[in-house]
Amino acid sequence: MAIDQNVEELLIMGDSDLIIRQAQGEWETRDVKLIPYKKHVEDLGKRFKSIEFRCNPKQQCKKQVLGDYCYMMPPKRRKYCRSLPPDVLSDLADNVIDVILMCLPCKDSVRTSILSKKWRYHWCRLTKLTLDSSLWVTKKDLLNPTVKFTKIIYQLLSLHEGPITKFTLNIGFLENCPDIGNFISFLSRKDIQHLVLDLSWKKLYKLPSSLFTCSQLRHLTLRDDMRAENLDFAKVFESCSALEHLRLDFFNTMFYDHYDEAPTRLPFVLNSVKQFYLPHIMLIDSYELSFALFLIRSFPCLEYLEIQVYNEEDSGTEESLELKHLSKVTFNHLREVKIELCTRRTSEMQLIKLLLANSPVLVRTLIDRKFLDDEPLDTRLQVFAEISKFSHASPKAEVVYLD
Amino acid sequence: MAEAASSTIEKNNLTLKSSYGDEFVLEESIAIQSVTIKNMVEDGCSSSVIPLSKVDTGTLIKVIEYMKMHSSTSSNEEEIQNFDKEFVRISIKTILNILEAANFLDIRSLLDLCAEAVANRIKNKTPEVVRKIFNITSDFTPEEEAEIRNETPWAFEGDLDHSLD
Repeated sequence: MAIDQNVEELLIMGDSDLIIRQAQGEWETRDVKLIPYKKHVEDLGKRFKSIEFRCNPKQQCKKQVLGDYCYMMPPKRRKYCRSLPPDVLSDLADNVIDVILMCLPCKDSVRTSILSKKWRYHWCRLTKLTLDSSLWVTKKDLLNPTVKFTKIIYQLLSLHEGPITKFTLNIGFLENCPDIGNFISFLSRKDIQHLVLDLSWKKLYKLPSSLFTCSQLRHLTLRDDMRAENLDFAKVFESCSALEHLRLDFFNTMFYDHYDEAPTRLPFVLNSVKQFYLPHIMLIDSYELSFALFLIRSFPCLEYLEIQVYNEEDSGTEESLELKHLSKVTFNHLREVKIELCTRRTSEMQLIKLLLANSPVLVRTLIDRKFLDDEPLDTRLQVFAEISKFSHASPKAEVVYLD
Repeated sequence: MAEAASSTIEKNNLTLKSSYGDEFVLEESIAIQSVTIKNMVEDGCSSSVIPLSKVDTGTLIKVIEYMKMHSSTSSNEEEIQNFDKEFVRISIKTILNILEAANFLDIRSLLDLCAEAVANRIKNKTPEVVRKIFNITSDFTPEEEAEIRNETPWAFEGDLDHSLD
């Protein structure tokens, strides 16, 4: 009709955003039924000097069928199509901005304070903070990293408002250990629930007694070079009555004092602990092993246990006396066990055997065979055969090998 | 455009209506990845059309595309990862629209995915570049800016990226 009337400039109004976008070429048309129409519209469009499509959203639209949308996709990779309207990012809901900022390294989220007044204090309210060496190590820096670290921590925590539920600290390679006791005591007053301390400096660090007061702590990870000097470690756990998830890395750690005789269990039980991770444990009789085992005994409601066996010395043929002590314990709630086998050692077999025999509700035992695969085929088959013969307390327990 | 009489829509399908009035029929099992929609279904408000007055058609199409992929039982983890990667290779404007929709519809994984994509365009960039990318106008005086830089100088140190990528 428009062609018949020799119209030169045409405005087409439609009630479907979809069709309008397709006609404009903004969206691809994939529905075979619609492609000929789209082509026809394009051909007709050439007869006009100018043609504009506009969507009129006020009009009610008729029902569309289910399949329609999936034939219509935006054209691929249109980068920077148009500039954004001002402040689209700033106008997002606060909780959305929080999620974005928590995806950023700490340094980047603090830097947003300069974007505009709306952004000035936004990062200060984040409930999760992750601090690592990227904050205090720069190429041209002449300042002693430990001094800088202390300064940064002080500034961060004095500017921060409200609760901090998750705090991760990776100290990297600071030579001198700063006093982390101060800010752990600060965190204990910030409702900390999830604490990860990765403290790999060269000096042994004294476990801060302020851990005592983190009553809401649910998740605790301690790695490397920590030492509970003159500290009754049992007391720490006694105060963390909400603890559910515990990860203790024994690689280079002494969480205990050198008792003449290792204790067999905590003076109380912690029913809250459900998940226990023990990376780098050596299954040779030692204070470490007995300490780890007495913790396991003190968590009667344990549901998940993960052990990475780590053996430096080749002392593989003897059964472990410490593990023997464990053979009378029943794991009434243990549902899943993950063990990373080091090599085929008697003590490792002993551990798997006793876990299978004493866990009546066990569902799965995952065995990571990554190191085992270095062994000759015969040895591997022997190991699998041996494990398959172990008796299971739980009728539905399966053993799964992970590559 | 093909039309469907409402009688052909099965019981377990939901109809979502965009702010432009376009309607989309979607299986309930897919749509309830949105906690907002799930709550409406549980409260019995889903028998008629569910109006999503804050979500435009283009954004809703993307959201449905995402929910379909993530509820599909035939796709493995790797396929989903690749899909997610491709999904956010779109204009920042579209990502921000989806982000808003994901927040309104309460689809946590989609919110996280898009937030990560936005964060990637902020990461390691100078504040000037971030303002340019997101069209943010600074309302600070030069003195105020200097004060902020002075408050946390370490946040502005290092080799920051000046490119608009």
